[in-house]
Amino acid sequence: MLNQLNIRKRFDGRMNLLHLCLWALVLILLSRMVYLQWMQHDGFMLQAEKNRLNIVPVLPTRGTIRDRFGVGLAVNHISYQLSMIPERVNNGDIHQALQQLQPFMHWTPKQLMRMEHRVTHARHDRPVLLEDKLRWQQVAPLAARLHHFPGVDVKSGTHRYYPYKALTSHLIGYLALARAEDIRRGFLRSEHVGRSGLERIFEQRLHGRLGSQQEEVDAFNRRVAVLKKSPPTMGEDVRLSLNIRVQEAAAKAMHGRTGAVVVMDVHTGEILTLLSTPGIDTNQFTLGLEQEEWQSWLHDPQRPLLNRTVHAAYPPGSTWKMVSAFAGLRNKAPLAHGHTQCPGYVELADRKLRCWKRTGHGRVNLHDALQHSCDVYFYKLGDQLGMPALRSEALLWGFGAKTGILLPRESRGHLAAPLQRLHNGRKRTWVRGETMITAIGQGQTTVTPLQMARFAAAIANGGDVLRPHLEAGTKPEVIRHVAVAPENLKQVQQAMYDVANKAGGTAYYRLRHAAWKIAGKTGTAQVIGMSQDDDKKKDKKLVRNSHKDHAWFMGYAPYDHPKVAFAILVEHGGHGGSAAGPVALAIVNELSKEEHEVADAP
Amino acid sequence: MLRDDIQKLDMVLLCCLLALACLGLTVLYAAVYQGNHAIFQKQMLYWAVGLVLFFVMSLVPLRVFALSAWPFYLLSLLCLALVPVIGDVHMGARRWLNLGIVSFQPSEMIKWALMLVLAHWFASREPDSLKNFLVAVVLAGVPAALIVIQPDLGTTLVLLFAAVVVLMASGFAWRWLLGALALSPMVGYFLWQHMHGYQKQRVLTFIDPQSDPLGAGYHVIQSMIAIGSGGILGKGFLEGTQVRLHFLPEQHTDFIFSVLAEEAGLLGVLVLLVLYGLLISRMLSIAAHAHTRFGSLLATGISAIFTLYMFVNIGMVSGVLPVVGVPLPFVSYGGSALLTMLLALGIVMRISIESQGQVPWQRANHPMVL
Repeated sequence: MLNQLNIRKRFDGRMNLLHLCLWALVLILLSRMVYLQWMQHDGFMLQAEKNRLNIVPVLPTRGTIRDRFGVGLAVNHISYQLSMIPERVNNGDIHQALQQLQPFMHWTPKQLMRMEHRVTHARHDRPVLLEDKLRWQQVAPLAARLHHFPGVDVKSGTHRYYPYKALTSHLIGYLALARAEDIRRGFLRSEHVGRSGLERIFEQRLHGRLGSQQEEVDAFNRRVAVLKKSPPTMGEDVRLSLNIRVQEAAAKAMHGRTGAVVVMDVHTGEILTLLSTPGIDTNQFTLGLEQEEWQSWLHDPQRPLLNRTVHAAYPPGSTWKMVSAFAGLRNKAPLAHGHTQCPGYVELADRKLRCWKRTGHGRVNLHDALQHSCDVYFYKLGDQLGMPALRSEALLWGFGAKTGILLPRESRGHLAAPLQRLHNGRKRTWVRGETMITAIGQGQTTVTPLQMARFAAAIANGGDVLRPHLEAGTKPEVIRHVAVAPENLKQVQQAMYDVANKAGGTAYYRLRHAAWKIAGKTGTAQVIGMSQDDDKKKDKKLVRNSHKDHAWFMGYAPYDHPKVAFAILVEHGGHGGSAAGPVALAIVNELSKEEHEVADAP
Repeated sequence: MLRDDIQKLDMVLLCCLLALACLGLTVLYAAVYQGNHAIFQKQMLYWAVGLVLFFVMSLVPLRVFALSAWPFYLLSLLCLALVPVIGDVHMGARRWLNLGIVSFQPSEMIKWALMLVLAHWFASREPDSLKNFLVAVVLAGVPAALIVIQPDLGTTLVLLFAAVVVLMASGFAWRWLLGALALSPMVGYFLWQHMHGYQKQRVLTFIDPQSDPLGAGYHVIQSMIAIGSGGILGKGFLEGTQVRLHFLPEQHTDFIFSVLAEEAGLLGVLVLLVLYGLLISRMLSIAAHAHTRFGSLLATGISAIFTLYMFVNIGMVSGVLPVVGVPLPFVSYGGSALLTMLLALGIVMRISIESQGQVPWQRANHPMVL
């Protein structure tokens, strides 16, 4: 039994112990606080900052692409976005809110259903995009009554617009949302990146630099304040050497036919026109391309996605005769300074190589052969020269090599070469007749319209093979000067002049009244080997369109003091003079008109 | 007589209390100034009412409390037993009893009732007797079982620990106390067997908040970030970003300590802990010098509850203890908790007043009666 005194003693001991416990507990808590607030302070401070700060990127405005006179080819249009913050909608009734918007937006029931699904499944405190790229006329009635629609907002932004649509589609290209590889390169998922054409080539300059905005957010990720702003750097504008009016005139003269037109400044190499038809309306890419439309472009037999000026190579046909002529003059082939009889064909072993004029040209020299485009003369000239001379001449004038234009995936064309290996590895025997048809631009040789225009420019400027430039004010760059004796050059130029300006020239009928005197050469390139012996050739009307000849016209103007060179190709256009010639006429007339406008201006 | 009593007020206790009132209200203001000012105004009102009750209590003769110990305990137990039947569910637990005009937590009452009844029982009885020990176990065990199924593990633990402290002060030998501690796991196992699945689930979440990482686990992480980022001097009054941007959960109630730690830093925390230390240590001194054994045991029990509240709350918001809903004394918002604590403190003040000029109970060789 405990007596009172013992109980008191125990009590005193226990009280001391409790006192000790109390201060021990206080000390434990204090040491925990020292650990958290002193030793771990930096780490927690960082976490607190991470909690409250949100860095939001601000997209830059993309630079515009303009033609040489400042006409916009790729510009930014203001468009409007309609969005909704679900939690701010009246009573949270999203169905009813969308129904109320319906009279303004005219959605289809299917769209409406999809939208409702999207809104109800999104975060309720963040704006959900309902519709993008709206025009002001579409949103104006709604914007004026916005206060009746809590939670609904109309915001303005920009989107890319190509005013000339199909006319410039191949050259300018288009934009698309960043893909995985772009994101690896540092783009954001919401950014648009140049996907083809100049939009892709000038991406770095056009794009501009991202800005950012440091925001303070609360625990529900709602923005409380904007702390720091570093504005985006706007993309640079790019001014092209292109003359959109000439391009328009050329496109008009193409009359919807498939083909390519290149116009180039003969002194600077600046490209004034780079047209490939048909084109596509690249605005569809930014406005939301339907899968069906893309598929129809892909499978269109006219291949609207192909840039025919640089990505496609065609047999040059008779335009190649200038190459053969220069080769003959350079190598002093006997025929180059002599003449021959054209009976309408050349006999070669048991075959006959025909001239396009079945009745023959009679006695022809180099000048006449170019003016009338006599095949027989060039068969014989080619025969005298042989393949190596023909090939090295073509290389000199820049064929068989890329021109170095900025556009991606340029084709280099193809030059026929005598030594060839077949796919199975066996050597193929080169026959004499092949050299002869190579000399008139048939056979295996293919060139791009751009190469052809550059060739015309080199003839005009005295032998300077230029690098084609797309940007205004780029320093002219001579890739190679082809040494041609002045009298030889003069001889070819004169012949080209007579093609368009002397009776009997293959383009005389179409081009004699051009505003500037044109020097040029027609070309009619066979698409499939059709035996020239065959008398069925008379039934040309029966030949299927896809088997019709390609029509070429290349040349320069004005003849006396050349300014521009051009190459026109009309796929399956038929005869060069009549199919491609009028396009040259339209180009030259447009340029001359512009020159007068400048002269008349006060 | 009234004047005498007022002159006998313990100034140390009073000063600590008033300092805590100022600090607590300041911190509460920082926690709610952005949102609901009504909370701050209500708390001011609670303090005003509470201080009046505190002084009233310190004037009521201790005899009255001794006489009301049993009725008060039984009433509290009745209310507690009614909770599972007619209680209101609030935040996943059934703790509240709605009596039309007032809605309160019987578990809040039973703690103080248990201290009162234990102090009364042992004031005149011997420790180290099986009968007295078993009475104590039943007195504490029944309410503990009723509270644990609510479930409110925090209050249950506070209740049991405080009961053990009272037994300790009443002079039970260590073997009895250790026996009592050993008993609780067995009782816990028995209760567990008789719980419903949802009750077990609630208990589990209370024990291991990480099992619910977006709930309680997230709260503790954010609370630790707030405390740690406060540093030594704090971010400044009303400058705490965790508070201002609502990263802290329950920042005006259970997690209010992090508001102080973020804005006032280690320095502010030190001030609060020292104030608690001084207050409770003063209460223990009052217990040690009380002239009746009843007063000693009651003051000890009340100090134990305050100590446990402080330790469990700060421990849980700083990530050393599981999150069990326990308020921070005098700082957390909440009328019933504040009022009961002030009432309890008023009783301690009364013990101090009555003991002044008297000799502590054993030394005068008093009989072990009131």
